[in-house]
Amino acid sequence: MRRLASAPEALVGLGILAALTVMALAASMLFPGDPLAIKGAPLLPPFQDWSLPLGTDRLGRDVLAELFHGARASLAVGLAAAAAAIAVGAVVGTLAGFAGGIVDEALMRITDAFQTVPSFLLALAFVSVVGPSLTVVVIAIALSAWTGPARVARAEVLSIRERDFVAGARVIGMHPLEIALREVLPNALPPVLALSSVIVASAILIEAALSFLGLGDPNRVTWGGMIAEGRTVLRSAPFLSIVPGIALVLTVLGVYLAGEGVVEGTAVRKGLS
Amino acid sequence: MSRAFLLLRRRLVGSVFVLLIVVVGTFLLLEAAPGDAVDAYLVSTGGDAGLVEAMRQSWGLDQSAATRLANYLWALLHLDLGQSVAFSRPIRDVILERLPVTLILMGASTALSFGLGSALGIYAGARPGSLRDRFLSTASLALYAVPGFWLALVLVIVFAVDLRWFPISGFETIASGKTGFARAADIAHHLVLPVTSLGVIYLALYLRMMRAGMAEVWRLDFIRAARAKGLSRRRIVLAHVARNALLPLVTMLGLQSAQMLGGSVVIESIFSVPGLGRLAQEAVALRDTPLLLGIILVSAVLVILINLLVDIAYAFLDPRVGASEAGA
Amino acid sequence: MSDFSLTRRSVLSGAALLLASTALPTIGRAQEPQKGGRLTVAADSEPRNLNPAIVASNGVFFISSKIVEPLAEADYEGKDGLSPRLAVSWEGSEDGKSVTFKLREGVTWHDGKPFTSADVAFSALQIWKPLQNLGRVVFKDLEAIETPDEHTAVFKFAKPTPFQLIRNALPALTSVVPKHVYENGKIEENPANTAPIGTGPFKFAEHKAGQYYRLEKNAAYWGKSEPNLDEIVYQVLPDRSAAANALEAEEIQLAAFSAVPLADLDRISKVPGLKVVTKGYEGLTYQLVVEINHRRKELADVKVRQAIAHAIDRDFVVKTIFLGYAETATGPVPKNDKQFYTPDVPAYAFDVAKANALLDEAGYKPGADGKRFKLKLLPAPYFNETKQFGDYLRQALAAIGIDAELVNNDSAAHMKAVYTDHAFDLAVGPPVFRGDPAISTTILAQSGIPDGVPFSNQGGYKNADIDAIIAKAAETLDAKARTDLYKEFQKKVVEDLPFINVADWTFISVASDKVGNIADNPRWAVSNWSDTWLAQ
Repeated sequence: MRRLASAPEALVGLGILAALTVMALAASMLFPGDPLAIKGAPLLPPFQDWSLPLGTDRLGRDVLAELFHGARASLAVGLAAAAAAIAVGAVVGTLAGFAGGIVDEALMRITDAFQTVPSFLLALAFVSVVGPSLTVVVIAIALSAWTGPARVARAEVLSIRERDFVAGARVIGMHPLEIALREVLPNALPPVLALSSVIVASAILIEAALSFLGLGDPNRVTWGGMIAEGRTVLRSAPFLSIVPGIALVLTVLGVYLAGEGVVEGTAVRKGLS
Repeated sequence: MSRAFLLLRRRLVGSVFVLLIVVVGTFLLLEAAPGDAVDAYLVSTGGDAGLVEAMRQSWGLDQSAATRLANYLWALLHLDLGQSVAFSRPIRDVILERLPVTLILMGASTALSFGLGSALGIYAGARPGSLRDRFLSTASLALYAVPGFWLALVLVIVFAVDLRWFPISGFETIASGKTGFARAADIAHHLVLPVTSLGVIYLALYLRMMRAGMAEVWRLDFIRAARAKGLSRRRIVLAHVARNALLPLVTMLGLQSAQMLGGSVVIESIFSVPGLGRLAQEAVALRDTPLLLGIILVSAVLVILINLLVDIAYAFLDPRVGASEAGA
Repeated sequence: MSDFSLTRRSVLSGAALLLASTALPTIGRAQEPQKGGRLTVAADSEPRNLNPAIVASNGVFFISSKIVEPLAEADYEGKDGLSPRLAVSWEGSEDGKSVTFKLREGVTWHDGKPFTSADVAFSALQIWKPLQNLGRVVFKDLEAIETPDEHTAVFKFAKPTPFQLIRNALPALTSVVPKHVYENGKIEENPANTAPIGTGPFKFAEHKAGQYYRLEKNAAYWGKSEPNLDEIVYQVLPDRSAAANALEAEEIQLAAFSAVPLADLDRISKVPGLKVVTKGYEGLTYQLVVEINHRRKELADVKVRQAIAHAIDRDFVVKTIFLGYAETATGPVPKNDKQFYTPDVPAYAFDVAKANALLDEAGYKPGADGKRFKLKLLPAPYFNETKQFGDYLRQALAAIGIDAELVNNDSAAHMKAVYTDHAFDLAVGPPVFRGDPAISTTILAQSGIPDGVPFSNQGGYKNADIDAIIAKAAETLDAKARTDLYKEFQKKVVEDLPFINVADWTFISVASDKVGNIADNPRWAVSNWSDTWLAQ
């Protein structure tokens, strides 16, 4: 209790994320059907018609419905990309750190190669080539984000692998791959997971930037897509890009704040023990 | 000295493999793309079957992918980046034209974010937990959460359209005939908004790292010793705390050099700055494989060089590197 | 029918009002053209090849038409809608096998050499016929060119070629380049392709890649009054909102080709000092077309195609997507074409009930989820409006139980998917109407076109009647008879719907009030701008 009170930022972050989760879960109940369906006159300003509280966009679609459904897509992209990046990174890092030698060398040079190419450029090229859909965007973001977790996991594994329990596992004759994945990986995971808030946040931002460049999935609503749609009327109907823009900034902020709170919290606990 | 030399040699050998992976990977990615350079070209012209066939032939696209990759690598061995299909000019020329622009943009953004970011970080970290620390750390987090393109759009409308303090777009005044200092001032004037849009997110990053690093250092024994010796607080902050907290920022500088080029894709197109990021986006859209390869190669070499410099600087700055080098 | 004329009228009067309200301040000012000044114009792309004789496309003309001139230009008043440029007169023979051009005297190239019939002969035989994207069709039977003197060129055709077609092709297809510059070496690799040399009112000065093109006044221009402007600068602005901002900040004076998004026009028309001009693009009409893959069994059924045509609310499209800056289409020829258009075709009114009934009739009953079948819909990515129409069409199809999935490809991928791989069910395309059906709209209906030809019938549609009309029109010399054949073509196409025409649109310019003499011909944006001027 004292810990949370000393970090009000973390509370705010968790609050934002909770609200967002509720939005995402409630989207289909509150706004059933396709959020892209045309519901009224185009470019209706907010707070004019209470059946369309946030007004409508260029084609007359309900902005509030889009915002709720967008929360779902943005969260899904962020979480899925982070999960994929961490999974791939952790496995690659563990293998490299545990195997050492030529395997380590090869995996690390591949990691270097991915880190040498600007990640946004890689995501952009990948999405243009494969064709944008939500899954492709998630893969593209994961492709450019797995190197961080891989390096952290490897460093962690290097320090763990000489410990007693690993030697013990060797003595009882466990297969090295089994040792790597069942004994070492779980112990190397906590510092890798600490990266997740940063990856989730940057995934949401990268998705928005890709949509901004016209590389979004046209069958789904995302906040980035809404900003991109709204920017042609940025001067005459600014609410169309400001509303999803604020949602985006709040979400990313929430993810950071909550992530920092958790990291600081664990640091405090470690310090006490 | 020999340590730095060994590090250099190891890095260079590794870099060759890294570059090879980058080149082959990029080539295969673009090869998998639907549509080639001729398809991209025909979008604006149209044409009949015979014309399409003739163009594929004259651009060498009728050859197999393996042949083209082999030819590319062979030419690369001779330091020849080849011919751009989209611009029908040597790729070396196309890239050299844009490289200075990119270097200026990146350099200015890095200077802004690193300089101001670490300064503000020191200011915040000098009194951990104080009001100004809380304010700066939350404000930087908010800045970190704002998408760069969004910030750019707002900056343009406020400072270029409404206030007219800065030009809306471009790298310098068109055909102005300016030279020397006047030209440099003109370019600087044009780059204020793009540099701000590109640098702000990293400014926030450096601020936060500096602040966090200083918080760590405050707890260490030698600071207590310094305080016990009765050194002034200002002296302790600058000479001991900040100096030690600066090291991770230097590492970050190397890591971020690659990311900034990615971020500049959007910023360069919003501000019509003729840099490499925008060129790379065009190369993807026009399916100009050799041009994209050239850009990625050049930027990879730049990134590798910057990281090498950072490592060498680090090796000289921090005596502890020698001990941990075995694990690197 | 009355529906359509109402819309048309309201759209036109809307545009007229807009013109009047914004043009008034200019009328009060000095009308006398002034000399000098630099006109800065927004450009959204940098063509790799600036030679209009090789690449006949609007992106290239936008810049190169000031430097390199055609034999004749489109005109609001002139005979056959033309005004002379490098040719002063043209005449076709009875048998359709020869056309005689009298060329302008006293014209010199930018490098000082005289312009002669040899240049025309070289351009036509060495470039237009073998290399040009459109010339390859129109001049395919061009056999030889006789040059009895320096200012006469007689085109000889192996097979009769309709003079009407040649005439309609003059503005876009006949840019003349200097023989002495191109006769040595490979034409495609000539340096003049990126730094053109012509006879026009402006000379190519420089191109800074990614930044700008600069053209300078040609003081030796043949026109009565030499060009008014000293310089034209095309500033490259790749971002979609940049042109509007730059106009407002007075960094540029003109944004043509709808560089200012339609959605922003209403606001920008109220900015003091700026005017919105809708004229000057009549010769550059784009058609919004739903392309259909007839290999899909459902779409091979004409009832399904008719149902789709009934499901589209054309008035909504014009009003909401084009904000009134377009006209609803009745068929494959746009209403603003004076020679060929006929309103005498079947009409497909917006009628969801009828569309549903047609689909039921065709045997595609809705399933438990209300959906009849799934489709892949590929909107062309080149224009904002084609993408937005894709979003709309997905909703319009949902209303009649067709579940369409949008595929968002980039330009190259779209070309490959639709025109080579046929990996689409419906596509949204923006073909250009080039003033003659023979070089535009017919290739979307004609069968037997090889795979990979862009903007052509790649939907596997085959209709012997329509093919016969197209073939007959190609060899019909009499203009009246030929026009009637194309009217018949329009009727057949709208009956059988190989593709569905939704709307026709032209572009909008936004300019500073200081710019004079804009939009004074139907292809103004791609004409030579010799009389355009800038108030100092």
